Amino acid sequence: MVDAPDGQAEQAYEEVFYPADRIPFVDWEEFSGAQPAVVLTGVTTLLAFVTGLSNLSAPVVSLNGPLAPYVPATTVVARLAGVTFAFLLAPVTVGLQRRKRLAWRVAMVLLPALAVLPLTTLATTDIPLLLAVGVTVPLLVRNREAFDQSLDLSPLQIASLLSVAGVVAYGTVGAYGLQEHFTAIADWVDALYFVIITIATVGYGDITPTTQIGEFFSLSIVILGTGAFTAAVGALVVPAIESRMAAAFGNMTPSELRLLENHVVVLGYGDLTESLLDSLADETDVVVVTPDEDTAADLDAESVNVLTGDPTDEEILERAQVDSASGVVVASGDDATDVLAVIAARNVNPDMRIVAGASEAKHVDKLASVGADQVINPHTIGGRLLGESVLDESASSSVVAALETSED
Amino acid sequence: MGTSAATGTEQMFAKLLAPLCAASGAVVLSGFFFPEFVGTVVTGETWLAVALVFFTSGMGYLAVLPYSPDPEEPSGEPALLGIRRTGVVGTLRNFATKHDPVVFALPVGVFALFFCVQAVAPAATNEAVNGVSGAVLQNTGPVFLGAVSLAVCYCLFLLLGPWGDVKLGGPDTEPSYTYPTYFTLVFTAGIAAGIVFWGPAESLFHYGSPPPYFDAPARSEAAVGPALTYALFHWGLSAWSAYAVIGVPVAYFVFKRGAPLRVSTILAPFLGVSGLDSVWTRLVDTLAVFATIGGIATSVALVSEQFLAGIGFQWGVSAGDLGPVLFVGGLTLIFVLSTVTGVHRGIRRIAGLNVVLFGLFALLVVAVGPRSFVLDRGASALGSYAVNFAPLSLFVGGEWVANWTVWNWSWWFSWAPFAGLFTAALSRGRRIRTVVFTSVVATSAATIVWFLLLGGTSLWVQTTGAADILAAVAARGGSEAVAGFPLLAALPLSQLLMFLFLALIVVFMTTSADTSTLVVSMLATRRSVAPTRGTIVSWGVFQGAVAVSVLVLGGGETLQALAVLTGGPFAVLSLVAIAGLSLTLYRRERDQGHTSVVRQAVDRLPTVHTHHDIDPPEKE
Repeated sequence: MVDAPDGQAEQAYEEVFYPADRIPFVDWEEFSGAQPAVVLTGVTTLLAFVTGLSNLSAPVVSLNGPLAPYVPATTVVARLAGVTFAFLLAPVTVGLQRRKRLAWRVAMVLLPALAVLPLTTLATTDIPLLLAVGVTVPLLVRNREAFDQSLDLSPLQIASLLSVAGVVAYGTVGAYGLQEHFTAIADWVDALYFVIITIATVGYGDITPTTQIGEFFSLSIVILGTGAFTAAVGALVVPAIESRMAAAFGNMTPSELRLLENHVVVLGYGDLTESLLDSLADETDVVVVTPDEDTAADLDAESVNVLTGDPTDEEILERAQVDSASGVVVASGDDATDVLAVIAARNVNPDMRIVAGASEAKHVDKLASVGADQVINPHTIGGRLLGESVLDESASSSVVAALETSED
Repeated sequence: MGTSAATGTEQMFAKLLAPLCAASGAVVLSGFFFPEFVGTVVTGETWLAVALVFFTSGMGYLAVLPYSPDPEEPSGEPALLGIRRTGVVGTLRNFATKHDPVVFALPVGVFALFFCVQAVAPAATNEAVNGVSGAVLQNTGPVFLGAVSLAVCYCLFLLLGPWGDVKLGGPDTEPSYTYPTYFTLVFTAGIAAGIVFWGPAESLFHYGSPPPYFDAPARSEAAVGPALTYALFHWGLSAWSAYAVIGVPVAYFVFKRGAPLRVSTILAPFLGVSGLDSVWTRLVDTLAVFATIGGIATSVALVSEQFLAGIGFQWGVSAGDLGPVLFVGGLTLIFVLSTVTGVHRGIRRIAGLNVVLFGLFALLVVAVGPRSFVLDRGASALGSYAVNFAPLSLFVGGEWVANWTVWNWSWWFSWAPFAGLFTAALSRGRRIRTVVFTSVVATSAATIVWFLLLGGTSLWVQTTGAADILAAVAARGGSEAVAGFPLLAALPLSQLLMFLFLALIVVFMTTSADTSTLVVSMLATRRSVAPTRGTIVSWGVFQGAVAVSVLVLGGGETLQALAVLTGGPFAVLSLVAIAGLSLTLYRRERDQGHTSVVRQAVDRLPTVHTHHDIDPPEKE
């Protein structure tokens, strides 16, 4: 058995019982925040899926719950609800992870609705799901403030979603109204089934038009519906793929950039940038603008915000939200680029503080004259420190110590 | 010991336990959700083994997780620091210098002797011990009843009287444990798996053979109320008071007078704090070690037998001869791990898990059980408990009372040294009133609710004929271990309830055994020095070894009877402790301006102005 060295072993018993100032039962803060709520929603989704599979695979589904008499089509609900809800909850969990308000609202509807399943069956296997829902919902309610991001749909996405909804509504109502013009539409479920099968271009053919009106109506659904469906897929999926591609090159998406405020924009990537990022990282949000895609990908891997682009281009600086930034650091290592970058940044935001690092002492004045509020030449400072250090140990070591501690 | 960071061994355990827990958990879950597919592949024995592995590895993993109260502060120290550099001789010498030789060697010797005698002449030993314990319980019944009654009265006085105001520790001492932690640790340490077995069983036993005090015909409607009342009486305020009358004096002398944290500190008012290093204190500490190991080790052995008996009864799974030994081995591993990681890590976390499972199980029983029956009979039993408390406490009613009440009191007193000492250690910075409230009132409330719920439900199942639990118990030779299974089988969600029921047995046993290991290690170590890891591990393994010996050689009931007998001296010592504490409090705290609850209540009342409209003339 491993034992502590002798000096340590001679502890008073106080060490055994009072190792800390205060010993809480559970660190509530750690378990009650927004992130645990998201994780719990994910666990609930997984449980719903497993429970659903379990109910599907069971030879007989039990219906002993207190809600069983009130739920319509109990067997169907008991068999299918788990898996269906799991597939609905999966995107909601992703939305919650992004702190979307809409995802929170949908979760608040879906989760209590999901509780109907175990309360209908009251099978042993459904109880963990009931418990998970019972814990998740209060936690989500408690953290409601955290989920405040709007969905940020583009007009095209909104339009395409609306048109899909419109076509489905039109098709369902129309098919139900024209049911005598079709072979086998008897109720609303049949009408909806017909529309979805047609829009998805599956077309089983079990329901077919028998009159000319029916044929025209079917044609209108095929043309409008497939069009809207395809447009919606394009509008919703393509931006997601685009943002994946952009992330691969170390680019922030426009919606991510739009959230930035009072951040520091770092123009260019040079020798100084690493230590600069270290000193800024704890203090504020930072965006690095660099034209080099490899550097951008490396920085992105270290979860530093990056925008790939030319730091002397005003349009790129506007995308980096320089107009709402608290400051700009220009330090690409190339003084000519730095002069252009200072000018560009000053054009975008005339009132902001701009700090520049000059590689050569003779360029300090030039950078200052084009609009940098402060210009620092690292070589000058380093040389001065070296000089002080060789003459007076205490003076320079205190400076170095001060720098080192301020770094922490 | 006591460090928050995980050492090398612990990290190794964590790496070993996490995948073990995940893998066995996956098997258990798949069997739970897809019984049709998985159930046919895996046999009952394997299920049992996998479920136990899942549960114990989960608890072990919980224990070895690092603890850092300040999230900024990284935990984990270089593992190299912990490597021992001395050889075997050095280790032994180190071990010897840190231990109190008498307190260490005497219990070990007594247990070794017992097992030798037991192995040579089991029948004679059984007869002798049972004869002695029977005689003691029969003849000294009034002593136990008197001691417990006095303990209850004294706790009531401390709770309401002015001395409850005394703060344990200096004026600036803050409690180290938040109240939920404090309650959880006190509750789970003081009660073991007995509560799980006896919860459904005790009321039924009294229903089957009613207590003479109430004189109701057996198995009649009239026997239901008395059965519940007696179950409450045996597990309620009286029982927990036995812990408090040891715990409060120790806490007072440790935190107010600077005495060492040991059971023998209750003798401080007579020997003086500086004189606490005499033959008498060693005797008391040795007795405490003996009582604790005897009580815990026999509990571990009996619980594992009962656990497997219950499994065998319900599912026809036989664990064989090796089963109980393996079970005890696993349990020992977990409680040693829990103790080694410390109060704030293993012991606290497993205790938390225990209380959560306890509450969850109770909630599920409320959800699926006969609520109106339990509420109706429970309320009347509670009323009957209150009305008959004094006469029940003093009722000396022949053999029945000797077998039940006196035996029970003696058992609680034999646990009092370790439960009391642990309560005392946690009570730093709290007022005596809070300590008594927590360790007597709050804990009794929890057990009372449990016994009303489980006892009421099992009586309902028995009286409505949903299942004949008493017949099932009789078929198994009157073992209380099987009572829970027919009961839960008669309720909805029975599989889930049984799974939780088995988990509760394991976790309740662990939470008592880890605390007892800690207390025994402290008592056997020299004064004021924290026990080393080596000490804790050796005592934990010793408890496990005693339990295994009990299983292999037999004589569990005999050893238990022997351990229960140590309750006798502690019943007497509790009287000494009460007298000593009262004396000291009277001398030292009389003029300190402490106020009783009654006085505080009166002060809160609005003052009635009886004097005249005009102010009285000011004094010159």
